[in-house]
Amino acid sequence: MKPASPARSRREFAAQLAGGFGSVALASLLPESARAATAPAGTPPLPHHQPRAKQVIQLFMLGGASQCDTFDYKPALQQRGGEKVNFTVTGGTQASAGPLLKSPWTWQQHGQCGRWVTNALPQLATCVDDMAFLMAMNAPTSEHSAGQTMQTSGFVVPGFPTVGAWVSYALGRLTDNLPVFVALPDPVGLPWTGKAAWTNGFLPAVHQGTMLNPAAENPVPDLFAPKNLGLATAGSEHDGLALLAKLNRARLQPGDSRLEARIASYELAARMQLAVPEVLDLQGETAATKALYGFGDAKTEPLGRNCLIARRLVERGVRFVQLWCGSGLAGASGNWDNHGDITPGSDFERMCVRSDKPIAGLLKDLKARGLLDETVVLWTTEFGRTPYSQGSKGRDHNGNTFVSWMAGGGIKGGTTYGESDEFSFKAARNTTMCYDQHATLMHLLGYDHEQLFFRHNGADRRLTDVHGSVIWDLLA
Amino acid sequence: MHRFNLCCPPLMRTLSIAALASTLAGSAPGAAAEDKPKSSPTPAAKAAASRDWWSLKPLVKPGVPQIGNPIDAFIRARLAEKQLQPAPEAEPRVLIRRLYFDLIGLPPKPEEVAEFERTCSIGNRQSATSNLVDKLLASPHYGERWARHWLDVVHYGDTHGYDKDKPRPNAWPYRDYVIRAFNEDRPYARFIQEQVAGDVLFPSTRDGIEALGFIAAGPWDFIGHAEVPETKIDGKIARHLDRDDMVANTLQTFNSLTVGCAQCHDHKFDPIPQRDYYRLHAVFAALDRADKKYFADAKLTARFAELEHRQRTLTTQRTALENQPKLAAGKELETLDQQIEAASKAKGGLRPEYGYHSAISPTQDAAKWVQVDLGRSVAIDRVVLRPCYDDFNKIGAGFGFPVRFKVEASEDAQFKSGVVAIADKTSADFANPGITPQTFKSTGATARFLRVTATKLAPRQNDYILALAEVQVFDSTGNNVALKAGVTALDSIEAAPRWRKANLTDDIAPAADNSGALADLRAKREALLAKFTDDKARAQLAALAQDMEQVAAELKQFPKPDVVYAGTVHYGGGAFSGTGPAGGKPRVIKVLHRGDVKQPKDEVIPGAPGYLAGLPGEFTLPVEHAEGERRAALARWLSSADNSLTWRSIVNRVWQYHFGRGLVETPNDFGRMGALPTHPELLDWLAVEFRDSGGSLKKLHKLIVMSATYRQSSSVQRAAASDSTNTLLWRQNRRKLDAEAVRDATLFVAGKLDPKLGGPAFQDFIVEKPEHSPHYQYHLHDPEDPRSHRRSVYRFLVRSQTQPFMTTLDCADPSMLVGKRNESVSALQALTLLNNGLMVTMSKHFAAKLDAAGGNLGDKVDRAFREALARGPSLEERQSLTAYAQQHGLANTCRVLFNLNEFAFVD
Repeated sequence: MKPASPARSRREFAAQLAGGFGSVALASLLPESARAATAPAGTPPLPHHQPRAKQVIQLFMLGGASQCDTFDYKPALQQRGGEKVNFTVTGGTQASAGPLLKSPWTWQQHGQCGRWVTNALPQLATCVDDMAFLMAMNAPTSEHSAGQTMQTSGFVVPGFPTVGAWVSYALGRLTDNLPVFVALPDPVGLPWTGKAAWTNGFLPAVHQGTMLNPAAENPVPDLFAPKNLGLATAGSEHDGLALLAKLNRARLQPGDSRLEARIASYELAARMQLAVPEVLDLQGETAATKALYGFGDAKTEPLGRNCLIARRLVERGVRFVQLWCGSGLAGASGNWDNHGDITPGSDFERMCVRSDKPIAGLLKDLKARGLLDETVVLWTTEFGRTPYSQGSKGRDHNGNTFVSWMAGGGIKGGTTYGESDEFSFKAARNTTMCYDQHATLMHLLGYDHEQLFFRHNGADRRLTDVHGSVIWDLLA
Repeated sequence: MHRFNLCCPPLMRTLSIAALASTLAGSAPGAAAEDKPKSSPTPAAKAAASRDWWSLKPLVKPGVPQIGNPIDAFIRARLAEKQLQPAPEAEPRVLIRRLYFDLIGLPPKPEEVAEFERTCSIGNRQSATSNLVDKLLASPHYGERWARHWLDVVHYGDTHGYDKDKPRPNAWPYRDYVIRAFNEDRPYARFIQEQVAGDVLFPSTRDGIEALGFIAAGPWDFIGHAEVPETKIDGKIARHLDRDDMVANTLQTFNSLTVGCAQCHDHKFDPIPQRDYYRLHAVFAALDRADKKYFADAKLTARFAELEHRQRTLTTQRTALENQPKLAAGKELETLDQQIEAASKAKGGLRPEYGYHSAISPTQDAAKWVQVDLGRSVAIDRVVLRPCYDDFNKIGAGFGFPVRFKVEASEDAQFKSGVVAIADKTSADFANPGITPQTFKSTGATARFLRVTATKLAPRQNDYILALAEVQVFDSTGNNVALKAGVTALDSIEAAPRWRKANLTDDIAPAADNSGALADLRAKREALLAKFTDDKARAQLAALAQDMEQVAAELKQFPKPDVVYAGTVHYGGGAFSGTGPAGGKPRVIKVLHRGDVKQPKDEVIPGAPGYLAGLPGEFTLPVEHAEGERRAALARWLSSADNSLTWRSIVNRVWQYHFGRGLVETPNDFGRMGALPTHPELLDWLAVEFRDSGGSLKKLHKLIVMSATYRQSSSVQRAAASDSTNTLLWRQNRRKLDAEAVRDATLFVAGKLDPKLGGPAFQDFIVEKPEHSPHYQYHLHDPEDPRSHRRSVYRFLVRSQTQPFMTTLDCADPSMLVGKRNESVSALQALTLLNNGLMVTMSKHFAAKLDAAGGNLGDKVDRAFREALARGPSLEERQSLTAYAQQHGLANTCRVLFNLNEFAFVD
């Protein structure tokens, strides 16, 4: 595919996308580097080809979700549990491999595609015909924060922009009322790297993910003035913004669009003050919808609420939603890091239950509303787990192979790509890495990942560094 | 197979961090099929990477087109070519605000504005401006303002970064050095030399040490250094990346070139062969980032270093002597050691609550105590001390058990009176008991408090501690009356759940299964070693012990040394030993094929890059040279009058901060991927002028800000169609204030800015879980905390979790080399300036300050306007603001002022 040459300016493109008042605001809210005619910093090009999707929901299973007990069915593992196999241990926390641990969960084929899924994820199992599986994902690390940073930014070291920031940079905003890139951490706590998990890295700060905390007084930081300072009233805010606009407008200077942009930014801020509470207000959702996401059950409602909010965000034009299942900062039981136990009754089961219905509900709801056609849903984790045991019932980290799946706009449901070895210890065939997944994602959004740059300290940086190939087999 | 490509993508890349890191954890991606070159350097690219490039050419001072300020002559010559007219001079009130923010980063007070306007109106505007500039350059706030720019460039931070992101409490002396250097107008050549090799070139100066914080300014991988030795692949990678950061920081800062591109192959666009890149590694090869001790008095520093060196030498000698019998004992000892290790590992159901752990002491003879409060007076039958188990440093059983100690009881919690000794083991070393409980019978002590005092601590890892799993106090009926008793101690590391005072009486201790056997084995080992130690060795050991005592005694006389986190030869232990223990010799550096530490090729000697025709990169160092000679040679090369890049780079940086854009728009990249200079002759003229007049930054500032070009108005009626982006500077650029200036101006205007200079950083966050991976919680900080009302340059800069308010305002990320900040406008910025706790709090203080000054509401609004914007309000502005203040209060009015475009920009 030949990328189209970026003939028009990004500003024109953005203006065309939104139209109306938004276009002025949009254009003027572009980063300075993208506006200056002589800016040497990378200016994102227009889409390189017809996009298949325009929005993204990234679901991150924090801790390293076990492929051996969810999606990667290995008859040999089921038959030879307890046997000692001579694995070369390359990562993880233990020095040597324990005996093979057969999955204590029941495997069964599902859907028209006949995908194997265990009974740990009964609801997601009903969605397999919409999902495309990467069965041989590989990570260059078996360490949590490095693995998390890798899957979110393509680098094991901190400081690089996350996928959401790249998408914001490339595609810009669809709505004036909400941030382009929203992060929804698990209500239990933040990921391993805290708020750096949605960093803009070296991209301009406008591309930073905005953390949405539905339960807080300020669901978006600084959305409203702190109540305890007792200054702001509805009137002071309304009149204050009007006065601010009036005073600013009276001193506009020709030839400096930043001054107008700043006026517009306050108008956007005011809209966000209305839009954020609206998106979090679930009163208008029917009981049936809520039930679909697992409301009414304390085990599923916390993540179900975030999944429903994710749908509402996408519905209202948020470009990229990063939704976390599991926290790195809430102790060992708050995530998928199931070293000690993956059997029924364990934390592993709790994480499955916590996410199964809400995520399946999200897929079904998006589909029913026609949103799945233009939204890519990406399910990932930092790495997989070992087919051999740690202790007697747990599994250790394993970057050699793991499973990830994608669904939605442009994805061919029911397909798989790649295969791990006979025990699911190592990726064996058609291995993919996050680079390929990111390349595929950018492709679906209309971009050639090799042609999307940002100039930083003398280097034209890419989301996929020097790697990555689009996984054509997954595309519809 | 590793999955990184032979070559860069069509355009270049710098670091191959991903490539290197893909070897982390050894999980090798098996995607051989994708491991194909995407492109190879084209002949054109190869040819292009020559030295024929503007920035590499020697500096020749160009002729000035006409008389007057040479800057204006160069600028106007270009304007004339394009038939553009320069804008008129800015009004005095605009100019003074511009100069204040540019030179000291703070707004002028209304009185200062009025005075300047008055002087300009009655007298010579030129001399009024000149006097003002001199005053501002002499202000200590000048150094604060310009040091902040420098800290962006060198990516200074107060934490290590990476995922653990531990604090770096001794980084700030470097920040203060930079402030001082700017304030004292340090000649630029010396400024370079101090930061690269101050310890060698300016020995016995405080600046020569503190400036080395430059080398250590960037992030440091704690896990890769402290937990992985450099013999392992991951350890090699960590150290390689660490040096890469030193090299990149040095060359990008001083020479504005991206040498990191040559890590995997010869630079494709600039004349930097891979070998040159690794030669730079060799320059820094002896160094690590670590705390460096020094005294304000250079003589003390020298003597202290000498003594510490002596101490290390003696320790090495002792170790060698102690090792002789170990060698002699041979197989027998080996067997015993294996048995001891096996016995130590039999830990018997270890629970996560290990016990009590004192703070760590650098010396063994510091006394530490821990005591239990039995709640009432008890007739004590016996006391049982239960030792700990911890694999740390492979110690295992008996971890932290004191070498000499006493057990005492008293009715007095302070142990000042009525102290009864239960056990006194302070006169001889007590054999480590493993995890065997140690029982001490009491002879009739009746007391409420029971104290264990260690007089000789247990060794840990080049440091010393006291740790105990459990203290049990039994009465005559066999009841443990200390169970759940309150515990106090001289100090405690309190790292729950593992270590905390409460663990001492929680009834959890390692089971004492085979510890008796362990003690036997240890006794056997001692006996065996004694057998092989001859009288001569014994005498030598005794002499050594005496020498060591002497050294220790003299060291004790010293005041506490100052400490700066710097690039230094590190004397450490464990995984992070540094090069110090082996004599500070630089590590051997080899060219790494494709930047892969597993594919080392030819060894390289230290050297500077060879990209300058008139300045060879070869160092002429004798074969046996000290490590510092390498850095000294690089410092001389960088600061050489013939290094054209150095002088172009710095004048361009200064220009950028005065105009919002450099003469070269890419301040960190003067290579072929960078921008071309808009005014090449002006750049060269400035570079030569600056270099030849002593490298005085203050003179350079004055030259620039006194030019008509700088003093032009930024407001125009109509943009020039032929140069709408103002590349040719037919007007001044309106500049958006950076995050620090916004914050500082807000505090200043509100009357709350604490002008205190220097010292440790203030923290505008609360740290949670400091003992492991600290969490920096900004939202828990109280904006009323006066300690945080200092200038932003003194902020404690966390790398992993940057301050949200500052980040939203495009503050530099301390993990990156930032030559120029991004500048954005966003709704989140609007929200943060409207609603952030700091902004709202300062609005209230601003209003309170206005109220205190008295007058009617209109007067207050007038005054507020002048304070915030350096001008009086128009009638309409005054009316609408007063009306708003009447309805919603003065504090909300101040909020409006803080959010005006005019507050956020400098015209």
